[in-house]
Amino acid sequence: MKLCALLLAALIPCLGQPMAADKDKVFGNPSAATRLDVFSDFSCPTCRSFHMEILPQLERDYGSSGKLYIVTHEFPLNIPAHKYSREAAYDATAAARIGKYEAVADRLFLNQGVWTASGKVWDAVATVLTPAEQKKVQALAKDPSVLSEVESDVSLGSSLQVNSTPTVFLTHGMRRFAVPNPMNYTFLRSLIDDLK
Amino acid sequence: MLIALRVVLGAIFIYAAWLKLRDPWQLFAMSIDAYRILPLTAVEWTARVIPWAELAVGLLLITGLWLRVSSSLVSLLLLTFFVLMVRAYAKGMAIDCGCFGPGEAISWKTLLRDGTLLAAALLVTTMAFLNRPKTAA
Repeated sequence: MKLCALLLAALIPCLGQPMAADKDKVFGNPSAATRLDVFSDFSCPTCRSFHMEILPQLERDYGSSGKLYIVTHEFPLNIPAHKYSREAAYDATAAARIGKYEAVADRLFLNQGVWTASGKVWDAVATVLTPAEQKKVQALAKDPSVLSEVESDVSLGSSLQVNSTPTVFLTHGMRRFAVPNPMNYTFLRSLIDDLK
Repeated sequence: MLIALRVVLGAIFIYAAWLKLRDPWQLFAMSIDAYRILPLTAVEWTARVIPWAELAVGLLLITGLWLRVSSSLVSLLLLTFFVLMVRAYAKGMAIDCGCFGPGEAISWKTLLRDGTLLAAALLVTTMAFLNRPKTAA
C-alpha cells in the first residue's frame, strides 16, 4: 500500500495538468500538441538570456507551424538581490492588460542591469508606453486583480516545486518535463521536433 | 559492510539511470552542455551512453559480478562527475547538476552528496581489491 502511494506520488508530476494563462503572455497555437510554461523573473540574468536568445528562435521556428504554445508565468524570487522583481512583475502584468506585455518585458530585460541597480523599474517601463498608456498601467499595477494574477503565478510555480528561474516545463500530452538550465537551443529544438 | 555499500551504490546508480532513461535524451544533453566542456556531437553521444553505463555498473555492483572492474568504473565515473561539479561551482556557474534528472542546481549540498558517494565508491573499490581471492601457487 505504501509502495503504491509512493509510486502515485512519483507519477503525479508527470501528468500534464492544465495551467492557467494570461492571454497577453502567450505565444503560438493554444491547441498545439506541445506547450512550454516559462516561470520567469525580470531580475534574473538567465531569464534575460532565455527571453532575448531562446524565445526569438522558438518564435521564428514554430511561429507558423502551430506546433508550439508558449506561456509565460511571473515568478519573482523572494531574495534580496531581486528586491524589485515583484514591482517589475506587477508593471508587466498591468501592461499585459492593455496589450503591451511584450514591449514592457523586452524593455525590462534589455535594461535589466540599470533598474535592478537603481530600483527605478518604472523608468524602464515608461519608455515603451505613451503618456495615456502610462497612466493606465500605473493604475492597473495597483489593481487587486493584477496583484492576484502575479501571486497566482507564484503559487502555481511553488506547487510545481519551482525554486529557481527560469524554470521551464515542456508538456506533451500527459507527459511533463522540466527543462535544464541554461538551455541549449539545438537540443531544445531537437526535443520539440521529436515529440510527435 | 562491503555488500551493503555496493548494493546501496548500485541502487543509486540504477535510480539515476532510470530517471535519465525515462526522459528524452535531449534533457540530459542540455545538462551536460551546461558544463561547457564538450562539443555538441560529444554531448549528444555522452547523453545517450552515460545512462546505460550507469545502469550496467549499478547492476554489476548489486550482483557482485566483476566487482573490481565495476567498482573501479563507478569510482572513475563519480570522480569525473565530482571534479566537473566542483569546477562549475568554483566558477559560479548557475547550472543544473544533471545527477538525477533536471531541476537540481549545483550547490554545496550536491557536492557533499557526490563527495560522499565518491568516498563510498573508493572504499568499495579498495575493499574489492584487498579481498581478491589469492591464486594458488
